[in-house]
Amino acid sequence: MNLLIILLMLTAFFLTRVTNLRTAVGIFLVQSAMIALASIVIGIETGEIHYYIAGLLTVVIKTAIIPYMLFAIVKRLSKERETNSVLSPNVSSLAAAGATVLAYGFIDQALPGVISRDALAAAVSLVLIGLQIIIIRRQAVLQIVGLNTMENGLYLLSLSVTNGLPLIIELGIVFDMLVAVAVLGILTYRIKISYSSTDTTLLRKLKG
Amino acid sequence: MSSVLYGVLLVPLITAGAVLMPASSRGVKVVNIIGSAVSSLLLGFIIYLINTSGYLRLGALYADHLSSLFLTVIAVLSFTASLFSASYMEKELITEKQDLKALKRYYFLFNIFCLTMISVLIVENLGLMWVAVEATTLASALLVAFYFNRAAIEAAWKYVMVCTVGICLALLGTILLYYAQLSAGLGGDALSWLVLKENGALLDERMIKLAFVFIIIGYGTKVGLAPMHTWLPDAHSQAPSPVSGLLSGALLSCAIYVIMRNIAIVKASAGFEFVQQLLMALGLFSILIAIPFLLVQHDVKRLLAYSSVEHMGIITFALGIGTPLSVYGALLHIFNHAIAKSALFYMAGVLTREYRTKQILRIKGLVKAKPALGAILLVLVLIITGSPPFGVFFSKFIITWAAFAAGFKLAGGVFLILVAAVFAGMLYYCCQMLFGQPAGSVQQVSIGKPAMAAMVLSVAIVAVTGLYVPDFFNNALRLAAAIVIGG
Repeated sequence: MNLLIILLMLTAFFLTRVTNLRTAVGIFLVQSAMIALASIVIGIETGEIHYYIAGLLTVVIKTAIIPYMLFAIVKRLSKERETNSVLSPNVSSLAAAGATVLAYGFIDQALPGVISRDALAAAVSLVLIGLQIIIIRRQAVLQIVGLNTMENGLYLLSLSVTNGLPLIIELGIVFDMLVAVAVLGILTYRIKISYSSTDTTLLRKLKG
Repeated sequence: MSSVLYGVLLVPLITAGAVLMPASSRGVKVVNIIGSAVSSLLLGFIIYLINTSGYLRLGALYADHLSSLFLTVIAVLSFTASLFSASYMEKELITEKQDLKALKRYYFLFNIFCLTMISVLIVENLGLMWVAVEATTLASALLVAFYFNRAAIEAAWKYVMVCTVGICLALLGTILLYYAQLSAGLGGDALSWLVLKENGALLDERMIKLAFVFIIIGYGTKVGLAPMHTWLPDAHSQAPSPVSGLLSGALLSCAIYVIMRNIAIVKASAGFEFVQQLLMALGLFSILIAIPFLLVQHDVKRLLAYSSVEHMGIITFALGIGTPLSVYGALLHIFNHAIAKSALFYMAGVLTREYRTKQILRIKGLVKAKPALGAILLVLVLIITGSPPFGVFFSKFIITWAAFAAGFKLAGGVFLILVAAVFAGMLYYCCQMLFGQPAGSVQQVSIGKPAMAAMVLSVAIVAVTGLYVPDFFNNALRLAAAIVIGG
């Protein structure tokens, strides 16, 4: 489990550095696979069928359908890559490290003496790093990946703090995420058509 | 009898499917209006059942007096929006050269959007409520982007991004709530609102407070509370006018509803003081933020959107006062605001069509050019700014009264000054549109009868609640306030 969490954090750190959109989606795929694995590991530990189903759901939707949609979008966006992020890759990795420290601080403050401290801290830092990606990255696709990273963090959080939400709610959340990616995908495609680039800083017409 | 709860979910779903069938735009319109009328009647029946029996419960679905007030809002608004769309969207089809396919897409999403809003109001479980709120964002996103021009795409992108990030924080809060529930040994019914509320005293106070901070930030984004309101003016101004009306009147109300449900839990567990400061501060700040934008606004739909931010601030402030009287005022205000603001957005749609611009400065002399429309706009503006004898005046009056009665003299005073500033700003711009000489040639586009009916119906409802609140409505409001705040 600890190894899994370390690898998970590593994927998040990679996401703060990538400039190629395809690679970013690939990293997200690996990250989701690890989240699914975490669910299944807990399933083996506790022997409850619930976790296997949740893990399977994650595999189907987050490592297959969502990445497939994102790859399909990226394919249409030739020559798009992240340039001139708000922060340079080095600074943003540093910020991610800061987020991790912050996450540990938050967990120790809010839930002192909790058993799964490391998993929780990893979950909160995934949420923070996801948020950070959305704020400092300019490419639409990278922002979608950031959003999904946040959601992965929340999933890990629910796994480690409450042993997962009830399956019906989990199902709803995953379905919402799927539709969100589809909607954002359509919008990304439209941004490409209208602005001939998917750099979201071009979206600055509406003010006041 | 409670199986009628399934009915209100099924009807919009069936209508969404059915609008894809007809081969003419007329057929699509008729199917949608019939579907929406049936759905509103069913909602009316549910509201009647709740009024007679107290609550309805069926599996994961649950509706009580609090739901019933918001269901009334949805019933009225989804019907008026359908009526208005029938006239408005057909003209869009001609002027924007969009085809039948676009119209079907519009009505399909419209019905799905109504479905998601109804489900927010009738699920009992806070987790499922989260799922439904996120679904409202997704269903309405493509409606906001309906025209697919640059501004609409930008608005939709920001809308989905800001609201989804916000709502992720609300999920974090909800997970913490579940953790508090498990720690208190209330495992059985995960995130059940009834269980959490009834056993509030057992929950860990610190955890509930922490959870509520995330929940108020998350759902507050959806309500459009400052400083998380940035998506709101963009989305409301770029969506087709009937959708703007629904977003502002119905969707914001649904988000407030979810916050109210969570307040009830916090009140039962951690007491009210903590919530009080947070809500009052957020409310006053939202009114304050809206003022400069209201005073220097050029776009009529953005003017209305910022006015929504202001009204959400008023409602949140009233919730923060937390006496039965103030919550009563807040609920009445939600009802009045929803109906008046949606009618104003419909009116803005008509104006932008007639004058071919959203610029306030170029819309002039409406009273001379179109007396009937001018009269409706004048009344609507008086209603929304809170002039007597209309409903909004009385709900604002009750809220101010409640603030002073509860001893918040300073906050109540600030509230009055802020509301007066908004009144001046709104009225100034609207007088510019109403009076003076009509500039140049006004487009002689006739407004369809259904659109006119939608606006007149809304005006009539708010005029009535100002003069006289019927007994059953009064009782329902009292009981709904008691659900939020107790007593």
